[in-house]
Amino acid sequence: MSILSLSGISLILNGQQILQSVSFDVAEGEVVGLIGPNGSGKTTLFNVLSGFLKPTGGSITLRGKDITGLSPARRARLGIGRVFQNFGIFRDMTLEENVLVALEALPKEQRRSLGNLCAVVASTLAMVGLSDSAKKKAGSLSGGQMRLLEIARTLKSGKELFLLDEPTAGVSPKLTQQVADLIVELKREGKTILIIEHDLPFISRICDRVIVLDIGEVVLEGKPGEVKKQKKLQEIYFGADPTS
Amino acid sequence: MQLLINALIAGSLAALLASGLSLVYGILRVFNLALGQTVLIGGYVAWWLFDGMHLPMLVTILGGIGAGALVSWLTYDVFVKPFYRRHPHLTLVTTIALGMMLDALILLVFEERPRSIQLTWGRTLEFGGMIIGVPQLFLVITTLVLLCLFAFLLHSTAFGRRIRAVAQQDTAAMSLGVDAPSLHRLILIMSGVLAACGGIFIAIDQNLSPTLAFPLTIKAYAAVTAGGMGNVWGTILCAYLIALLEQLVVGVHWFGAFYVPAGFQATVPLLFIIIFLLFKPTGLFLRASRAA
Repeated sequence: MSILSLSGISLILNGQQILQSVSFDVAEGEVVGLIGPNGSGKTTLFNVLSGFLKPTGGSITLRGKDITGLSPARRARLGIGRVFQNFGIFRDMTLEENVLVALEALPKEQRRSLGNLCAVVASTLAMVGLSDSAKKKAGSLSGGQMRLLEIARTLKSGKELFLLDEPTAGVSPKLTQQVADLIVELKREGKTILIIEHDLPFISRICDRVIVLDIGEVVLEGKPGEVKKQKKLQEIYFGADPTS
Repeated sequence: MQLLINALIAGSLAALLASGLSLVYGILRVFNLALGQTVLIGGYVAWWLFDGMHLPMLVTILGGIGAGALVSWLTYDVFVKPFYRRHPHLTLVTTIALGMMLDALILLVFEERPRSIQLTWGRTLEFGGMIIGVPQLFLVITTLVLLCLFAFLLHSTAFGRRIRAVAQQDTAAMSLGVDAPSLHRLILIMSGVLAACGGIFIAIDQNLSPTLAFPLTIKAYAAVTAGGMGNVWGTILCAYLIALLEQLVVGVHWFGAFYVPAGFQATVPLLFIIIFLLFKPTGLFLRASRAA
């Protein structure tokens, strides 16, 4: 059963066509990689999905409910969680407060079902090995630690669909593995993930399916192994071979 | 020492106005240039309820605060919200326009004559050669209590955490489910409430006059600029610092030879703005945070 459906999503910004009739479904528990060269519209598509940009055409449904006109906050409350390319953490707040903000923003019933929020905060930080830094400002963390905090915070706030925008960007090689492990853990827990990433081996390892965007259009779609073999992918990234 | 007492009184007023202004800038990156008029509306409505309607002091204060909140609500929904997403600088124009409209309204309704709330408990206290009026002492204490409540709200409640989160990364906060637009409106209303308290403060301690709006806005902006744009606590500290310098400039017998005319007091905040924008535009209390 598909959790997310995009139908004919188009976006024109400042007279320029950024997205052109983007359509695809994401099944529950599926991990889908969104790849494409810089400027192909991947992050813009995430902005449309999370409600920061309104599409000029098309519709988005989440579990069959049309969410096209909903605000980012409403979408988050319906279960869409986003991890930002440029670290969506609150640097001048402590790690504890960073997690608390996410928990306190949940709808009342969901918040009550969590029980003691302090205990949830402690377990969230323990999950990513940041318990000792609970009282420190998030701005003092390294890039990798920030990323771990952001993913753990999104996970613990009960989100069902994760939009991960280059989760390994700006992360040291040592912590990249830890971030990758955390994403694999999300997958094991049955969470649905849509991930933008330039690291193709990483995408091949964790994704069930890959969608390739180029100039705002879906140009390829399939299993990672199949997509990697496509000549079109090479053309998109490296240009057409003039000898062929 | 009397200069210190005077600075404490003037600084309390400036701190009330500037703290709300700083919060609004910190979160929306918007300068509300109709702040001075919001202060006056709060003060004039309180004066009218007290002097014109002969209502009890508590009702008067609540009425003034309500008027300030209402003006700020209007400011957000009509003069800020439709414009700031397009470009934050557009709100400079729209809030100046609002300020001009409010100036005209104040002149029309309350006229040009000075207005003040005359309290029956207006006696003065004297200790160690310093003099302070009971209403002034009450106002200084009220300001400190309000600022403490403000600090508690900002740092120890879920609401405060949401405010700080939106101030730092509104997109991330919204992605977690925080309703930022509603919070923006509340912040502006909170700033209006603090401004109206300032207006009531002026009505009790001094005289309300339609020409006060611009100097009040300038003084609050000087504190925001010197304290670091959006840094609420730096702003409050600088509000007291500016008030102290204002008192020193006109209160000291310079080199035992002359006094600076009182009219020059109003230039201190302007000098603050110019000096800080030229030499330290980040303000005194820029907080460094490790870049990832």
